[in-house]
Amino acid sequence: MSDFLEAENEEMALEQLHDMGCTDGLPVVIPTQERVVRCILATGLDGDMVLGELGPGMGIATVEKVATAAVMAGCKSDYMPLVVAAVKAAAKPEFDLSELQATTHCTAPLIIINGPARETCGPVASGYGALGPGHRANASIGRALRLCLINIGGGKPGISDMAIHGHPGKFTYCLAEAEEESPFPPMHTSLGFDETDSVVTLLGCEAPHSCLYSDNADDPEDAEKLLKILSVGLTNIATNNAVFASGMALVCLGPKHANVLARSGHSRESIQQRLWELTHLLKADHIRYGGEFGKAFRDNPEGTYPAFKVPQHILVMVAGGVGLYSMVMPNWGGAGHQNSAVSVQVESDFFCAIPGLGGA
Amino acid sequence: MVSLITEDFWDQGQFVAKSLGMPNVPRVKLPHPVAGLGEAKIEVIAASIIEEILNSFANE
Repeated sequence: MSDFLEAENEEMALEQLHDMGCTDGLPVVIPTQERVVRCILATGLDGDMVLGELGPGMGIATVEKVATAAVMAGCKSDYMPLVVAAVKAAAKPEFDLSELQATTHCTAPLIIINGPARETCGPVASGYGALGPGHRANASIGRALRLCLINIGGGKPGISDMAIHGHPGKFTYCLAEAEEESPFPPMHTSLGFDETDSVVTLLGCEAPHSCLYSDNADDPEDAEKLLKILSVGLTNIATNNAVFASGMALVCLGPKHANVLARSGHSRESIQQRLWELTHLLKADHIRYGGEFGKAFRDNPEGTYPAFKVPQHILVMVAGGVGLYSMVMPNWGGAGHQNSAVSVQVESDFFCAIPGLGGA
Repeated sequence: MVSLITEDFWDQGQFVAKSLGMPNVPRVKLPHPVAGLGEAKIEVIAASIIEEILNSFANE
């Protein structure tokens, strides 16, 4: 079990944690033994159980350490199965966490939640302002993962986290899919899970970029125009995906836009396929604007190249309120696994509800 | 093995070397940044550190 720090009161404890670089710069809930034990108990797991190793510091993420971060982030104990799943996903080798933490690119792990745990371990918001303030689960689950990446993974700005400008999503970056508002099956069913499973999908990606499209049900080209707009947002020549021709990205369709595509007969898979086709870019632009990376096509400069290796590298989900906007999140595309998304099933079989202890 | 690390990344190099269990891995410091400087300036930098690189190999 961990060593304990001592302080005269919570105010001084907070200053101590700030001074030690253990916070994200905002005040945290002081992780007293009682609060941490409560969150460990809520997982039904042993506090010493190892969930994985977090780079670049290669710290061992035990249930106790993760519970400590969850308390500091302001999580309710109900959220613990989601926090645990997110940490497990981050620790998977294919997530390339060490590189993601260290890169100069602005990438942060986005937590996407599917399945019944959106409610049973939340509620995790998926509608209006899901990526903004005001939703405790979204705010604190994403923050808990970030505090794990700081205090277990060692991601400290300017020392081991070399993001040139940082990323607001490095405070928190978490939402659920709006499965009930979506005309498509839930995203996790496209990733090999059953609809009744609860799944956390982690994608290291940039901040959300808004895509405006004013749809028109009388326009026979409505869906195709929307897909073109989304493709431009995904892979203008300034994005890593366009320049590296690798990585993954997320298209977060607003429910209105999702219905534009559904009524034209599109499925998630056909959306991915068409977006992949539309994100074939001119080699001439890559050569002209790609700098050193532009060497890739200099011997074969004619025609186009795919910004994404396969259509499945463009994730498609539905979230947000009803309006004219969707979001796209390009990503870094670097490291050994080219910045892949990783999905982990939420284990809540061992979850223990603690009567009267809903708060952290 | 000798790692070439620019001065802005020197602390990160130290952090990663330590966490990977290689705290004494030989390193040579470069000015920051080196990307986009053009060939002539890169050659000047290379000339200024070549001796240090060779010495690092010799001392391994």
